[in-house]
Amino acid sequence: MNDFIRDSLDHCVKCTICETYCPVSQVTPLFPGPKYVGPQAERYRGAGLSSDASVDYCSGCGICTQVCPQDVKIAEINSRARAKLWEKRGVPLRNQMIARPTVIGRLGTPVAPLANWALHNRAVRAMVQSVVGIHRDAPMPSFAGKTFQRRSRSHHGPADAPAVVYFHGCGTNYYEPVLGEMVVAVLEHNGFQVIVPQQDCCGLPLQSNGNFPAARTYVRRLVGHLAPHARAGLPIVSNSTSCGLMLKREAHEILGIEDEDLKLVSESMYDVCEFLVRLHDRGALRTDFGSLPLTIPYHAPCQQRGHGIGKPALDLLALVPDLDMIELDADCCGIAGTYGLKKEKYEIAMAVGARLFTDIAATGSDLAACDSETCRWQIAHGTGVTAVHPIELLYRAYGLDGHTLDRLVTTGPHPARVAG
Amino acid sequence: MSSLEADVLVIGGGSTGVGVARDAALRGFSTILVERRDLADGTTGRFHGLLHSGGRYAVKDPSAARECIVENRILRLTAADCVEDTGGLFVSTPWDDPEYGDLFLDGCRATGVPAEEIPVAEALRREPRVNPDIRRAFLVPDAALDPWKLVWGCARSAEEHGARILPYHKVLDLEVDGDRVVGAHVRSERSGEDVAIRATVVINAAGAWAGQIAKFAHCTVNVRAGMGLMIAMNHRLVHMCVNRCKRPADGDILLPLRTACVIGTTDVFVPDPDKTEIRQEDIDLLLDEGDKLVPGFRQARALHAWAGVRPLFEDTAVVAETRDVTRSHALLDHSTREGVAGFVTITGGKTTTFRLMAEAAVDAACEQLGGPRPCSTAEVPLAGSERHTLYQIGHRLAAREPVPQSEEIICECELITRARLEDTIKQRDTTSLDDIRRLLRLAMGPCQGGFCIYRATGILHQDGNVDREGANRTLLDFLEERWKGVHPILHGDQLRQARLDDWIFQGILDVEHLPV
Amino acid sequence: MSYDTVVIGAGLAGLTAALRLTEQGQRVLVVARGVGATHLAPATVDVLGYLGENRIEDPASSVATLVASSGDHPYAHIAADQLATALNWFSARAGALGYVGGLERNLLLPTALGVPKPSALAPRTMSGGDLTAGGRFVFVGLKGFKDFHPTLIADNLAGARLPAPVAARALELELPPGRRVDMSGRVIAGQFDNERLSEWLIAALKDRVEPDERIGVPAVLGLRRADDTWRELETRLERTVFEVSTLPPSIPGIRLFDALASALRAGGTRMVLGVRAVGARTSDARIEAVDVANATGTVSHATDAVVLASGGFASGGLELDSFGATHETVFDLPLIGVPDTGRVRFAPAYFDAQPLSAAGVGIDDLLRPVDAKGHPVYANLHAAGAILGGAVPWKEKSGTGISVATGYAAAGAILAPATRAISEAMR
Repeated sequence: MNDFIRDSLDHCVKCTICETYCPVSQVTPLFPGPKYVGPQAERYRGAGLSSDASVDYCSGCGICTQVCPQDVKIAEINSRARAKLWEKRGVPLRNQMIARPTVIGRLGTPVAPLANWALHNRAVRAMVQSVVGIHRDAPMPSFAGKTFQRRSRSHHGPADAPAVVYFHGCGTNYYEPVLGEMVVAVLEHNGFQVIVPQQDCCGLPLQSNGNFPAARTYVRRLVGHLAPHARAGLPIVSNSTSCGLMLKREAHEILGIEDEDLKLVSESMYDVCEFLVRLHDRGALRTDFGSLPLTIPYHAPCQQRGHGIGKPALDLLALVPDLDMIELDADCCGIAGTYGLKKEKYEIAMAVGARLFTDIAATGSDLAACDSETCRWQIAHGTGVTAVHPIELLYRAYGLDGHTLDRLVTTGPHPARVAG
Repeated sequence: MSSLEADVLVIGGGSTGVGVARDAALRGFSTILVERRDLADGTTGRFHGLLHSGGRYAVKDPSAARECIVENRILRLTAADCVEDTGGLFVSTPWDDPEYGDLFLDGCRATGVPAEEIPVAEALRREPRVNPDIRRAFLVPDAALDPWKLVWGCARSAEEHGARILPYHKVLDLEVDGDRVVGAHVRSERSGEDVAIRATVVINAAGAWAGQIAKFAHCTVNVRAGMGLMIAMNHRLVHMCVNRCKRPADGDILLPLRTACVIGTTDVFVPDPDKTEIRQEDIDLLLDEGDKLVPGFRQARALHAWAGVRPLFEDTAVVAETRDVTRSHALLDHSTREGVAGFVTITGGKTTTFRLMAEAAVDAACEQLGGPRPCSTAEVPLAGSERHTLYQIGHRLAAREPVPQSEEIICECELITRARLEDTIKQRDTTSLDDIRRLLRLAMGPCQGGFCIYRATGILHQDGNVDREGANRTLLDFLEERWKGVHPILHGDQLRQARLDDWIFQGILDVEHLPV
Repeated sequence: MSYDTVVIGAGLAGLTAALRLTEQGQRVLVVARGVGATHLAPATVDVLGYLGENRIEDPASSVATLVASSGDHPYAHIAADQLATALNWFSARAGALGYVGGLERNLLLPTALGVPKPSALAPRTMSGGDLTAGGRFVFVGLKGFKDFHPTLIADNLAGARLPAPVAARALELELPPGRRVDMSGRVIAGQFDNERLSEWLIAALKDRVEPDERIGVPAVLGLRRADDTWRELETRLERTVFEVSTLPPSIPGIRLFDALASALRAGGTRMVLGVRAVGARTSDARIEAVDVANATGTVSHATDAVVLASGGFASGGLELDSFGATHETVFDLPLIGVPDTGRVRFAPAYFDAQPLSAAGVGIDDLLRPVDAKGHPVYANLHAAGAILGGAVPWKEKSGTGISVATGYAAAGAILAPATRAISEAMR
């Protein structure tokens, strides 16, 4: 049985390109760099042996794989090595906890006001840091109280329109359900019926925290909900570029899942901006945009770039009159999913994101756009600027909210409410 | 011309030679060893590193098998640092007769080689890259041996007991006085100086070259050189020593060698052991055989190819294939064979049984040195193996863990630190990057020196070991040496690497126009 | 989405072609497996350094000599004045990097081994190292940066063949405490950009350099603020300061890439990394769309023209398999410089002439890959850079020159009215 991830290390010619791009090894000597822990160290990992702990400092941003000119699956090699490491050591409680957003979501949602108060209370956060290991200042979103799933049950879209399936992910479900409503509204505006199947976490946080068996269970369960729709030929859209990438590629490449159902779902999966651009290519996108006279910096998350689809958000927003998007070129915001939440990695994450924060501040804008929820929370935390999903700008431009710009939803912790 | 004197003069710096020197030194004999090139430059440094369990010989050569299992156990104890306990697997691929497996088990039983049949699923679980269509699988205690560590461990051990080890000293002639050999006339390749060495007993451990040495004393040692090709693949496709369960033939072994894995080997008679040419058909054969064991082998990255010559001694008439000659060793006491005293040849054999060969040779020498003395090499650990910890592949990686970034790494592929490089330069008192390469594996990883050669040259020069001429020469020589092992198998990923290295050395550094 | 041109490859040739097309108003898409050789090669533009054993002083006339005798060479497919035009264009586009030099006279810059190497253009942070006029030099190494050996550089320069006398010495500096023990050029560059490492360097050098010495430092003066840092060093040390290229990563090369990528972004051109061009949809010997594979599948990008700038063997644009067959890996184009009988066998001595050194795609004067009869394989496919056959760039020191010249010319061929008219007519 070929192991194409490990075998890809054969392509490494030691050119150092991955190392020059790695945002983590730039800011801390604790991480020797992707070439070192990836294709280089992999040659030293014998059967069942996992001797290098420094691989845990890899944030999993995936930039290394994207820039490698030789098709070495560096981030994927690192991911697997990390899983072996934690398999040997045992995954600590903290990692188990933050790796299960649905569990946290289900616990926090019914008591949202209390949970939100606690998560933004200094004393509670200090205790959480010392007991559980989540940094007291790490950006934590607020529970919305009523999940997107519940809200969508009372929503009825056009029944006889062509259908599209919505994979909203945990972020939208528990913390940003209004964003989910905007996604649905934009899709319906373009003549689609949006199906919101029962769904759960995609398993990405479990994977990045090294718990592969649990991650596989989650993937299979989710795929079980989505596959029937894929088989019926329906497209599946996601507004979380990380979760979308998980189903598009990582579940197969990193977790090694070969199921036919996953393959079907992967091939039917689109990022929501990608989906709308393809619509536009066919001349089927509604372009009745109102003017949005704003200048907004846009940050493409690392995992958005991992889709290899270009930057469809920018292509779409270019259609909105008077809207000027500034394409930033800083690489990574630092949060890398759950990485920047951890007390021993928080400072690293903030150092990684420093350049992005500076670049955003330099634009002088009150708003920034970014396709991933955890990145938005990190950006808001690092700059004080409100960060929105590009879909929200489209939603406003379409006038679906009645043109009230000042009710722009804060997707993420209100800067004033962040602990400290 | 200077002169030296000792009880025992050993000719040959391979495993047998250093084994003899060590054994003799441990027994209290004053000992000198001479080797025309670097230690382990001959057969020992060019074999695949298999520490035989004996399984390979269990059916065809039972005496060799018996010797192997005994020595296998001894070396795990005394040379632990040189041995990685990979375990061994014999598999019946679709191209092999599954019934041979029964012969195999019987043979192992009869020769004392522990062998156990395991379910195919279990074998595939341990070795996921092995051909999923294998029919049978057997476990044996094969292991992987690091020949350089072994040879240098023995050499250091011998030196600790008073021996003098002299690499780069070539034997020009043996000193014969009447009916006895009394020493040798030797030239130092480094200084150009001649040395006359007197010894009571001269032990000829020159392996495939033993015949040439014996001629100096007008003795006949009929050693045939069987050339074997090996290809190192960039990463461990297997973690155990994997053998085809069949009559020994070409390309039927694939085993780990440090961070790489090696497929071997072939068997071609060559009239001159110094002239080995790598033939394309042998390379194709190995790649194809590799593909039988590990599907997709041809697409894996081939790092390096080399040929070694095995010394096959035959006392009788010509045999069909050199492989059919016994792999057991041969001890030739020339005082009884040709009436030439003070001269003993130990030849044939394999690295796995080097210690046994050395013991036999020194036992024979004892008879001419005042009587028997006990041999302790089966118990006393080698220098570096005193703690009896077997080598583990992840050692170098783990060593860097406690404080990452605490040292400069010069060769990143092989994780060689600056401190280690500088120590080795001092220890070996050499300015040849090639000597250093053999000891440290410098530039033996995937990039084949693309990055570390410049660094190492700079360090050699900076530390004052070489002047500008010397630095430039050593760099250029190194590039030529590396190329020898690379160009026969240059394709795919390794060609990409070689081309990048061309860009680095010629495009960026412009080595072609160095002032030499 | 349909494009005017799809460029395959994000190395210097690809970026050059893409930028020229972008600024002429084309809708361009750049797709690449990853970042290209800009990050590895010194950022100089090497037009021609050697013709056989002769070191070239005057590239303009030497190129003329070269193309007169070597019809396959990439330069032979470019109009005589286009090379100069391409270099001028390039210097202007990389304006912030301040390239100096030209086709009349090669600069002679020291390599990290102290070998004088000819280059036609160099960024101003490097050009001060020109050895042509001779003089006194001090090379400065940093402990903890293992990719620069100033003593060897100085010693080798003492024995080098040079037009005017050069006196060179070396200094090794100890970095301020608290630095990492083993640093890559990238990390040091970051410290110049963000931690004012220049202050330390100025203080460390101020009293240790002679009045008329030029100061050579490894090429690590920063990424975003390199020019400012270099200027500051020159001003406050009151001497010429120059960067010396060393092993990859090439920090000046990354600056060049960033400058060109930034210009592409400003022009609205999208660059997608981490994807592979795997083939094309064609019709009547024209490419209609380029197939690009990404995370989940293959996307077909309709396009009027294509530039193949996928690099040579080192980049995977060409490949030699284990059976001895050579392929161009995107379109399987016919190749020149490949022995047509028997297996490829490399010569046993490293510096001997080696097969496949000049292997690559053969082109016509519109830079279109041609078959054995000289006919373009596709009417709208052009090629540029290291994918081209007919040259051994690392030996003759022409890699970046070929990339810029052919990238520029390929774009020119696409923009030329004649080509456009044909495209129109065929659509």
